Amino acid sequence: MHGPPDINRRHLLGGGLALVAAAASGCALPVGFGSSQTRIRYWHFLGASDGITMNGMVRAFGKEHPDIFVEENVLQWGEPYYTKIAMAGAGGRSPDLATFHLSRLAGIGAGRILDPINLDLLAEVGLKAADFSPPIWQRAHLDGVLYAIPLDAHPMVLYYNTDICEKAGLLGEDGKLRPTTGVDELIAALTKAKEAMGGKPPLTMDALGLGTVGPWRVWWTLYSQSGGALLTPDNTAIAIDDAKALDALRLMQRLGTEGLCDPRTDYGASVAKFTNGEAAFLWNGDWETTGLKERGTPFSMTRFPNVFGTGAAQADCHAFVLPHQRSRDPEIERATYRFIAYLVKNSADWAVAGHVPAYLPALEEPDYLALHPQSEYRSVITEVALDPQVWFTGSASRLWIEFGGAFSPVLSGERSPEDGLAAAKAALDRLMTAPNPFPAEERS
Amino acid sequence: MTRRFSFSQFVLLVAALVLAVLWLAPIAWAVATSLKPESETTKLPLEWFGSRITFESYELVLGTGGIVKWAVNSTVTAVVVTFMTVLFSAMAAYGFARTQFKGQRVLLGIILAGIMVPPQVLIAPLFAEMVAFGLVDTWWAIILPQVAAPLIVYILVKFFQDVPEELEQAAFVDGAGRWRVFFTIVLPLSRPVLAAVSIFTFINTWNNFLWPFLVSTDPNTMTLPVGLANVVQGTFGLRYAQIMASVVLAGLPLLVVFVLFQRQIIRGVAHTGLAGQ
Amino acid sequence: MTATVAPPASAVAAVKSKVRRGWTEHGLLFVAPFLLIYTIFLIWPTLLGFKMSMSSVNVAGTNDHFIGFANYAEAFADPRMWRSLWNTLVFTVLSTIPLVLLGLALALLAHHLRFMQWLWRLSFFGPFLLPSAVVSILWLQMIYPPEYGLINGTLGIDIVWLGDPSMAMWSVVLTTVWWTVGFNFLLYLAALQSIPQHLYEAASIDGADAWDKLRSITLPLLRRTTALIVVLQLVASLKVFDQIYLMTGGGPEDATRSIIEYAYDIGFTGYRTGYASAVSYILFVIIVIVSLVQLRLFRKREEAAS
Repeated sequence: MHGPPDINRRHLLGGGLALVAAAASGCALPVGFGSSQTRIRYWHFLGASDGITMNGMVRAFGKEHPDIFVEENVLQWGEPYYTKIAMAGAGGRSPDLATFHLSRLAGIGAGRILDPINLDLLAEVGLKAADFSPPIWQRAHLDGVLYAIPLDAHPMVLYYNTDICEKAGLLGEDGKLRPTTGVDELIAALTKAKEAMGGKPPLTMDALGLGTVGPWRVWWTLYSQSGGALLTPDNTAIAIDDAKALDALRLMQRLGTEGLCDPRTDYGASVAKFTNGEAAFLWNGDWETTGLKERGTPFSMTRFPNVFGTGAAQADCHAFVLPHQRSRDPEIERATYRFIAYLVKNSADWAVAGHVPAYLPALEEPDYLALHPQSEYRSVITEVALDPQVWFTGSASRLWIEFGGAFSPVLSGERSPEDGLAAAKAALDRLMTAPNPFPAEERS
Repeated sequence: MTRRFSFSQFVLLVAALVLAVLWLAPIAWAVATSLKPESETTKLPLEWFGSRITFESYELVLGTGGIVKWAVNSTVTAVVVTFMTVLFSAMAAYGFARTQFKGQRVLLGIILAGIMVPPQVLIAPLFAEMVAFGLVDTWWAIILPQVAAPLIVYILVKFFQDVPEELEQAAFVDGAGRWRVFFTIVLPLSRPVLAAVSIFTFINTWNNFLWPFLVSTDPNTMTLPVGLANVVQGTFGLRYAQIMASVVLAGLPLLVVFVLFQRQIIRGVAHTGLAGQ
Repeated sequence: MTATVAPPASAVAAVKSKVRRGWTEHGLLFVAPFLLIYTIFLIWPTLLGFKMSMSSVNVAGTNDHFIGFANYAEAFADPRMWRSLWNTLVFTVLSTIPLVLLGLALALLAHHLRFMQWLWRLSFFGPFLLPSAVVSILWLQMIYPPEYGLINGTLGIDIVWLGDPSMAMWSVVLTTVWWTVGFNFLLYLAALQSIPQHLYEAASIDGADAWDKLRSITLPLLRRTTALIVVLQLVASLKVFDQIYLMTGGGPEDATRSIIEYAYDIGFTGYRTGYASAVSYILFVIIVIVSLVQLRLFRKREEAAS
């Protein structure tokens, strides 16, 4: 009755067991296994141009420090990134080092998701508080504990196509864009550029799409220029000035509906348009510099135009954090601080990507001052409009996405500025009443 | 039915060809884009071929290493899940179909009720559990919850109930124990259904997104779909040729396997998929 | 669903029990490994989920306070929860209809064209084998973009597929149909091939044309398959997540957010796993009700048939 032994089954069993054994012995493929290098697992969200610059710095560090291997992983920017960081920190097998936006610090559950910075190790690698721009250094703390080491500030800026602007007569004698002040001058400049482009919309920006935040960035820039605030100074109540908020929104709608800005471009398309010379101006953060240079677009950059009284521009800061780990290897920890110090002290190299260094000595370096157009807008650093420090704000936060979604249809004219503001306020109201998942009394 | 090629056959053929072209176009577009130089991917008007055909995107994508690492993770986790699921489910099904013990009915009832529990509604507690076990960012976290698949037990119980008793009885008379009967008689007899169930499980695990996506935050433990969604779009943001090269590389393995084993895969998917109801 | 599974007949068991057995032969040992995994990774999380739904716990496991049914109260008063439930329903209806009809049409086509079967199977079923991430990224990055996307670029039209709240759900449905219709195609094809040929021959003798045969033989005999497909589709649609998360993230303006996507958003992106558990539990109850209703329907139909 018994048949011959079933070869196939044996094979299956054997192969399967071998795999089970492999799975049991190591949880993942060992990287750099058997080498004497210290491995730092480093996560960041710096894609595209930023990614190229960061990758170059990681490699340069590797050359100078052959005893350390930095395993670089680029994760998708935005909500997915902050979701992953929280989950990795909760899981306890998180990376040794991660980039972060300072504005997200209040909402992430520092203390449980992030580990505090070790001040002794920081001093050991030669970094101290006085080296950083004071307001930025202040924002790296929560409840008086340092959780982040700032790298840069990245404001909204104005990119302009030098060829088109020259054709439109918008450049000064030095070949730089003549600054505009106020709504009328801005509209006049845009109209000239539109004529030079044969009637196509001259301005492009991230106006819609998956988790779009462009409309928030532009609105927050314009609104801050007129001195508007989002919340009361103690962050307990909404303090939106309707008149100022509506002025900003009306201008945005005017740009979208009068053919001065194409309201139907998402982030990728806005960059693609400017890259291909199909737009004279791009309103965006400062980080597309390298990519534009690579592709040979004739362009330059300057501060975001002063429209409503000041030169304020929406901004955030990149920083380094240590996601929570169940146990930290002291050797890896030391190597991590050395790596952080290297990146911060070489901020001038990082500035190539477009960002303004937070490390003050770098701002004076001739290398940085020689960077064009990157150093053209460095003066904005005193006028950056940061988010209020509450748990639901910050890059790609609920607030940004809600406001981005509320204002996106205002740009295209599908929604009145009044309705857009009402939607945004309703969202803000919901956020104010929603429970903070990491309440302050639970920290420490 | 007459086999001549009639006018109506011709109309059907044209319709089918048009639909086939429509259905294949997105995949072809991904391949075409991946073979263009990066600077031509968003050029208008659209062209299917760039100024030259280049594999530099593939070199770049493979060079960064992610795809290969994730393919290994996908293969290991899918193979282990398939192996464990089929072995444990078959054992359990045998226990329910061919032995008797106290509480059997209740246990079977509890397991079958589990068919109604979609894993998607358990994401929050399962993740909390993995945090407590310290398993986040390990292969086991990806594997174990996917092995708890009551549907497979149900299919196999139904099948084992139809395996003729006599074969087993003869072996028992020869002095064979239950385990031996299970491994040398019941399992070999069930090869077709085991193959179908294995293929079904493998494909489901290979393509599963939500759970591996939640529980692998470390790019070193990610499976192909997760790496694609989380890392590739970050690393190669706005570099469409490279994103499409990654998409093609990630989609290719199962399509190739499908071309080679069409009949078996169709059986596995259709029969197991239907048996669920 | 479970009606056909029953413990073995007692007569057979009587024969078996004559063989002497040690404890290693106990049936429970066969069941044990599966039962262990099933208990830890299905039963336990189901219970834990209920406990979490009554707490304010966050993703890191802290802030874990019992708050009774407050999360449920919040959920029932949460317009975004209702919106995601509604979206899920809309998605289910919008996708099920074309998935069933098109699946049938493609299967009829392939069945009547008795050649190049491999081509039809590869084209229509192939996409089903692609991971959701491959499908979503492909459509998001290269098919739907308004400027250089394949559809607008080829047809010379100007539709904002994923960015327009009134179009976004249709776009998600279109991608889903392209991706998964192959499964229904396959099920219909298998059903068609099992229809006895002689039925058609008899009809031909009676002078029936192709249309008559389709109406009076094929479609009636496919009724059961159709019922199965609709049920499978309903349950799958209620759990939709992947393509929505990856292509629209639930936007624009919540127009595509499904209920699982909402639970993910709250629990992981928003760090509130307690509240997410409550929302999940609401969906869980809905799915159980749907499952029980269809179980009843099927049982009734089977009884009526017998």
